[in-house]
Amino acid sequence: MAERTSADGIRALAAARRFSEATVERWLRLAETDRAVLLRLAERLRLGENQLRDLLDWSEEIAVRERCSIADVWRRESLASVLARPLGRNQMIAAVKLTLRALRFPQLAAAEARLAELIRQLKLPRAIQVHLPEHLEGNDVRIELTGRSAAALRDHAAALQRALSAPQVDEIFRALEESP
Amino acid sequence: MRRWAPEHVWIEQGEEDSPIARRVRESLAGVPMTVTGDLRQAEPGKDRFATGKRRLVLQRHHGSFLQHCPAGTPGLVCCNYLVVDLVSNCPYDCSYCFLQDYLANNPAMKAFTNPGDALAEIDAVLRAHPERDFRIGTGELADSLALDPLTGLTGELVPFFARHRNATLELKTKSDCVDNLLHLDPKGRVVVSWSVNATAICAEDEAGTASLSERLAAARQVQAAGYRLGFHFDPLIEHPGWEEGYRDTVAMIAAAVDARRIAWISLGSLRLTPTLRTAMRARPTPTQVLSAELVPSPDGKARVWRGLRMKMYRTIQGYLREAFPNAPTYLCMEPAAVWQNVRGEAPSDREVAARLAAGVAR
Repeated sequence: MAERTSADGIRALAAARRFSEATVERWLRLAETDRAVLLRLAERLRLGENQLRDLLDWSEEIAVRERCSIADVWRRESLASVLARPLGRNQMIAAVKLTLRALRFPQLAAAEARLAELIRQLKLPRAIQVHLPEHLEGNDVRIELTGRSAAALRDHAAALQRALSAPQVDEIFRALEESP
Repeated sequence: MRRWAPEHVWIEQGEEDSPIARRVRESLAGVPMTVTGDLRQAEPGKDRFATGKRRLVLQRHHGSFLQHCPAGTPGLVCCNYLVVDLVSNCPYDCSYCFLQDYLANNPAMKAFTNPGDALAEIDAVLRAHPERDFRIGTGELADSLALDPLTGLTGELVPFFARHRNATLELKTKSDCVDNLLHLDPKGRVVVSWSVNATAICAEDEAGTASLSERLAAARQVQAAGYRLGFHFDPLIEHPGWEEGYRDTVAMIAAAVDARRIAWISLGSLRLTPTLRTAMRARPTPTQVLSAELVPSPDGKARVWRGLRMKMYRTIQGYLREAFPNAPTYLCMEPAAVWQNVRGEAPSDREVAARLAAGVAR
């Protein structure tokens, strides 16, 4: 009975949102508990097809790597606590994806967190933004200065000049060049 | 290892008396064969890629055989390798195989009945450039040896390359189909190489292939018969326990073969086009390969993110240097920056090619 309910629910939701047949087939191939977890998420967060597919891809890949079920992945404390937060739909989807990404890419997320901490230690003003290469694929670091006057820009440039002599800057480049 | 045999063979009309067709007919007594002027009959219908691997088409190849290796992509260090496609598609079913995507619209197993034309084309190139040292492989769109028990192609290839002083043939395989090689004299011009991986990957993601132990037993046999050996750690796959897995594979190779007979060893990280990734997701059983920490690279392919990729290269290269200090090693499809970070050097394409040619002459 439960199996029929989840499959029916998936078909109804997919029809209402015009999901592709390939996505529906893949969803229905999952074990009952796994597809039911994703159905509850899709209904609660009103997921579009691409959003659902992203969550399915990542949670399936985590489950395969850790030899557990997709339902087990969604029972993790980090995800459960995000889902318990009082967030709007868009914020919730963003928070869920960020948390799931950290589980899906644990070593990359750790490397990114280490770099973010090094940047934080530079204590740069908000008008100076440090941009790292996407997915740390490369070692080009870009710095963006924003100012509403010549004086402000000069102040920010001077702050940047001071920050660039900090050992954390060398550490950032070492971290990009070296292994995790 | 179980030898592959097709469920049905189609032979292009006019090719039924070609040497390959004759050898296939003799090897596959009892397998239905159809001679036809319309090879569209051989095209698989439903479940095209899987069905395609169960049928064999023997047909003439039209056009050029010899190509530059497609790994020679701008921005990546290249080893100036040439490929010659005498067979198209592979009977094995590796979860990560790029042919799932590359041959999706043309999935029948094909063996070309005019290898003599390929050899004539190669001969002309070798004669036109006597000063160059060519490395030519047959393992790009196919496993070089998987069909050899049926086609006997190596009986034409090995003597041809044995006669030429400025070319080396590489036969790249995941099989142990080496019987036909053992009574031929390569005269130092043939490298038989094995794609190898951690045993967990071989066991779970390389369906139909020889086990790692079987591959290495075959390597011992061809080494004793006078062939040089190559090993390709490609694709390297990040998975739980990868460090121990690849360390053990290096140790197994070291225990099995004479390190002095190794011509080259390559390292290449898994790389997936978006369409290959889609094909892999559509497989009946989810594969651990997709669970690696893969991100998009500048060339559009997904790879393990750079820091982790470099860690894998450094780690495995360390195992290799310890086990085979004199064997030439190289990275496949990586930019100069990754070479520099991993190996402390960024050689030109020509330098890499020269080193590998020296690996044969060693």
